[in-house]
Amino acid sequence: MTLSLNGLLPIPLQEQHSRRKSGVWLQSLNLEQGDTVLLLAPSGTGKTTLLHILYGIRDDYEGDAAWDHTTVKTMSPESLATLRAKQVSIVFQDLRLFPRLTVLENLELKRSLTDTISREEMMTWLTRLGISNKQHAAIHTLSYGEQQRVAIIRSLLQPFRWLLMDEPFSHLDPDNTRIATTLIQEVTAGNKAGLLLAALDENRYFDYSKTISL
Amino acid sequence: MNGQYTRTILKKLLLQHSGKSRLVFAWLSLWTGICLLLLSVAAWWNLRLIMHGKSSKDSLGSTFITISKFVTPENVTGTHAFTTEEIQSLLQTPQVQDAGALTPATFPAAISIGGALGFSTLLPLESVPDRFIDAATGNWHWEEGMMEVPIILSSELLNQYNYVFAPSQGLPLLTEDAVKALTFRLEIGTMRESYIGRVAGLSDRITSVLVPESFIRYGNTRHGNDRKVRPSRLILKTADPSDQTFTQYLEARNYKVNAEQLRWNKLRAAVQFISLAMGMLAVALTGISALVFLMFIELTLTRAREAMQLLLQTGYSPAYLRRFVTQRFVPLLLSAVLTAVIPVMLIQVFFHSYMHRQGIETGWLPGWPVWAITATCLFLILWLVRCTIRKAVG
Repeated sequence: MTLSLNGLLPIPLQEQHSRRKSGVWLQSLNLEQGDTVLLLAPSGTGKTTLLHILYGIRDDYEGDAAWDHTTVKTMSPESLATLRAKQVSIVFQDLRLFPRLTVLENLELKRSLTDTISREEMMTWLTRLGISNKQHAAIHTLSYGEQQRVAIIRSLLQPFRWLLMDEPFSHLDPDNTRIATTLIQEVTAGNKAGLLLAALDENRYFDYSKTISL
Repeated sequence: MNGQYTRTILKKLLLQHSGKSRLVFAWLSLWTGICLLLLSVAAWWNLRLIMHGKSSKDSLGSTFITISKFVTPENVTGTHAFTTEEIQSLLQTPQVQDAGALTPATFPAAISIGGALGFSTLLPLESVPDRFIDAATGNWHWEEGMMEVPIILSSELLNQYNYVFAPSQGLPLLTEDAVKALTFRLEIGTMRESYIGRVAGLSDRITSVLVPESFIRYGNTRHGNDRKVRPSRLILKTADPSDQTFTQYLEARNYKVNAEQLRWNKLRAAVQFISLAMGMLAVALTGISALVFLMFIELTLTRAREAMQLLLQTGYSPAYLRRFVTQRFVPLLLSAVLTAVIPVMLIQVFFHSYMHRQGIETGWLPGWPVWAITATCLFLILWLVRCTIRKAVG
């Protein structure tokens, strides 16, 4: 599954863009499935905006973003649902979990969509990331780091060809980050998927095949 | 997608934001509105059956009237017959749908009954086109050579006999069935040509003694003193004989109408107006109750908007979410509409047995318009519910 960007520029960034050069905005760019891409972006340069555009959440931009030559902007709500359930997964910067639901309920909502990961495997991942004891706790009672781990597991509970991550380890300590990256690598490899990680700074979480400055 | 567990989670996220009391209120509101509407439709249909039903006599609301010309000192020596132009003029008024002549016999006719009832009397015979006859008309046929002549008597004539004539003469009272079982000798003309008379029915519509048109034609030709008889009475089928313009039209031409018939017609018009007003009120109430129900759905979904957006971002399809929400609200709608029919059915059964005791026939079950309105309400509200959900989910 190829991700193509062509002359893409969010309308809110038009004025700001004229003052600095970008490796993404107004460029022509193709990323192939299997690539591991680090998107380096200082605050306020639009990395969250880019991920939301790719995921079909916002459409206030000029130019094109396309998955396998299908432009995101022209996708119907049903096509977007299929894209999100089976082809592109995401870890949002603001996590977007259901705060009143428990950890298990949040995960089960995602897992039961496609039922490609068994409940037992999901429980193993909870254990690996050290939050199995929190499975019946409501999300709003968890620390941000714990919530981040729930969001990471949720993003892996579906088939995907690309995994988009927006500062996914910002509140994790080095040990938990290492455990999380190992799990992500395993599942991404299992899916033969591409990975796009947006971060503020250089990092070595993964063995990146491309680094792009926003 | 599978699992009761997931559906429970979705229910928690999407459908539990409005509270049970609001749900009960919305359901009751819809139920009451639909029930009132169906009751008013049932009432309207029953009135219509009673007033226009072909199976029953139409004394409760006949739109048929009989007219003649007033006898005044000026025309006392002239004719009271209607001319062809006058009949055409009547037919051109918007209220008159059909007109028929009551053709009188121009020959003498007398009946006589032997036995306990033994009496003999002269009778003024008339005929009217068959389409104006409201009484049972089995064997309503006569042709030359037939000895038996069917006769339709006015119900009023039977009343006169039972309440005035019989008590004064010490004669037994007669029921409708007893009258129909009677046969009597009918003699016509100066040569007293003899036939057997049989009562074929009793009419509320026409105050006369009716025989088939063929018998009047035969009698007038053979025994009558005027072969070209012009009608002096007309029977009119009208849309609303109590209409003021029509009444003025009749008065201006010095036409006389049975006052009793007009009173009934005014009452019928009043009942129809009340029925229409009730119907409009019921439609308005149903509209409001449906609106309350739809607003309950809208409120529930508005409160779940964030969760809905997040579910869409998680990968749930709009179609699945719409289906899930629809499956929760449609049973409420179905139960409200279908159970609203129950009291209407019970009231109809009660009404039927009450009216049956009064000698008026209605159906045991609500008429087809009640079922048609039930189905229409169901589909209309279902469509509105789908629109509301589509608007909320996307």
